[in-house]
Amino acid sequence: MTEEIEQIAQRYARYTALGAVVIAGVWHLGYDLTVTLTGWSSFRWPLLALAAWIVYSVVFAVGALALSRTSRGPDRILELALATLAVEIAVIVASRPDELLGISDWGFGSIGWIGVMLTWNRPRWRSEIVAFLAANAGIMLAAMAVSGSLDRVSIAKYLVVIAGGVTMQLGYMAGCHMLRARAEDTVLLARKLAADDAWRESAQRIHTDRLRRYEAIRDVAESLLTQLTDGADPGDPRVREDCTAGAMRLRRLITEREDVPDELVAVLRERIDAAERRQVLVTAPPFGEHLPALPNGVREDLLRAPVRALDGAISRARVTVSAMSTMVSVAVVADNEDLPISSTPVREASGVVVSYQRQGGEIWVNSIWEGP
Amino acid sequence: MTVALVEDHQVVVDGVRSWFGPPGPIELVVQGPTIESVRGIAADVLLLDLNLNGTMVVDRVGELCAGGQRVIVFSEHEEPEIVRKVLDAGASAFIGKGRATKESCLETILEVAADRPSVTPPMAQAIATDEGPHRPQLSDKERAALLYWFQSMSKASVAARMGIKERTVRQYIDRARVKYAAAGRPAPTKEKLLICAIQDGLVSPDEVTVYTSLAAKGPPGDQ
Repeated sequence: MTEEIEQIAQRYARYTALGAVVIAGVWHLGYDLTVTLTGWSSFRWPLLALAAWIVYSVVFAVGALALSRTSRGPDRILELALATLAVEIAVIVASRPDELLGISDWGFGSIGWIGVMLTWNRPRWRSEIVAFLAANAGIMLAAMAVSGSLDRVSIAKYLVVIAGGVTMQLGYMAGCHMLRARAEDTVLLARKLAADDAWRESAQRIHTDRLRRYEAIRDVAESLLTQLTDGADPGDPRVREDCTAGAMRLRRLITEREDVPDELVAVLRERIDAAERRQVLVTAPPFGEHLPALPNGVREDLLRAPVRALDGAISRARVTVSAMSTMVSVAVVADNEDLPISSTPVREASGVVVSYQRQGGEIWVNSIWEGP
Repeated sequence: MTVALVEDHQVVVDGVRSWFGPPGPIELVVQGPTIESVRGIAADVLLLDLNLNGTMVVDRVGELCAGGQRVIVFSEHEEPEIVRKVLDAGASAFIGKGRATKESCLETILEVAADRPSVTPPMAQAIATDEGPHRPQLSDKERAALLYWFQSMSKASVAARMGIKERTVRQYIDRARVKYAAAGRPAPTKEKLLICAIQDGLVSPDEVTVYTSLAAKGPPGDQ
């Protein structure tokens, strides 16, 4: 569910960016190229207009490449923006003075879309696009002043083109930004809900598991107490052993305080339970709540050998975990007679080092991971 | 050698009393379910359960040690954070109920009564994994010896793993304990331990710099 929503948010970012590319591309091919070719004779210097069209195309290609790769404008845009503004100047210069703001003077209305592409989704996109559009408008106004076209009709034309262009360009950017922001909010909310669900589910699972074990311990205690009231001898080694096993399980339940244990701890607890069901006496001091995050594969390598030692314990085992911010050490001491051991430490690919020692009928298996 | 016991479970009291039965060297002179119930009766060592009638008394260890009383905490709460807290407060040792045997407990009590360094497995883990700002500077071997001691079956197996003599393992562990006492907040019980460690040649005087909080000096104007 969360993944799907994240994908939707990514698609929003990607397709709105590509939308800006399509608009600028269609505009440049459909309008700019058409008026350059059909109005070839109306230009004062048509080759300059064509060169401007080509420069525009190059900047467009750079912007389109960045947007398709990262859904964001290029990292360095100052030079590209200046080249684009130069395109506008070139088209003005290439046009006859009486064609200023006319059909052939395509630069003024068109380069705003390049501005949209260049500043798309950049951290300071608002101020950058406003500065670019202001420079665009300023250049045209200066050209009008130089050519003496500041009459009422020209000013009105100028304002209409500005209002039309800027509204479309800024409107598209602001609309898409809002869509993206909403999509990202939805993703964050979905992540939080998913985390809450996972937390609740784990806590519920632990709680149920604890209740199950409380019930098991109650059964054990009840049966022991019944045996004792029925006259069982507290000096009998078997009765004493049963009492010790019950006390150990109870002690472990008392010291387990975390609601959602670390995955490594969860695996160990599961194997300890399995060993206890086989009547193995297991001691395990509290594992602590602050185990560091482990790289991929480390947890499996840390657990493999100690868990094998625990699974093969005959009657008793001790399970310990020591941890620091860059170290985790898991050890099992057990009366396991079958586990094959290596006389030298074994280094796993993940960096975990496993050591074995056999002494007086017991085996000590210790795996250690030390982070960078 | 006399011991006082603060413990609220009668079954544990009876168990501990059976350890001290004659002709042993230790005598249980008083016991009760609260700290107040044993106050006023002198004993060489106070054995203290941390969870009394459902209340953790970690915060009261400091006040008990302040008068020079040797305190051994006796609890199933072996989490390294809790062990470090009681050691910082001045407790001489921490015995984990989960692994305690008569022999190991008696050994710990006798060492503490003589102000010798005593390191039980939960203490070894707590000292080795300390990452606090005032942690002692342990050598790699001292830290390894502590961790292996916590996680292995015996000091002999630690010696085999490290390729050294068992006596050297003990020395590493004891030195780490002394360094830990010197690095924490000062307490009369820790000072006794440091003095004995110097007399025994375990550390030299210049290796022991008792930590004193800068706050204790007060503002410069007061000097």
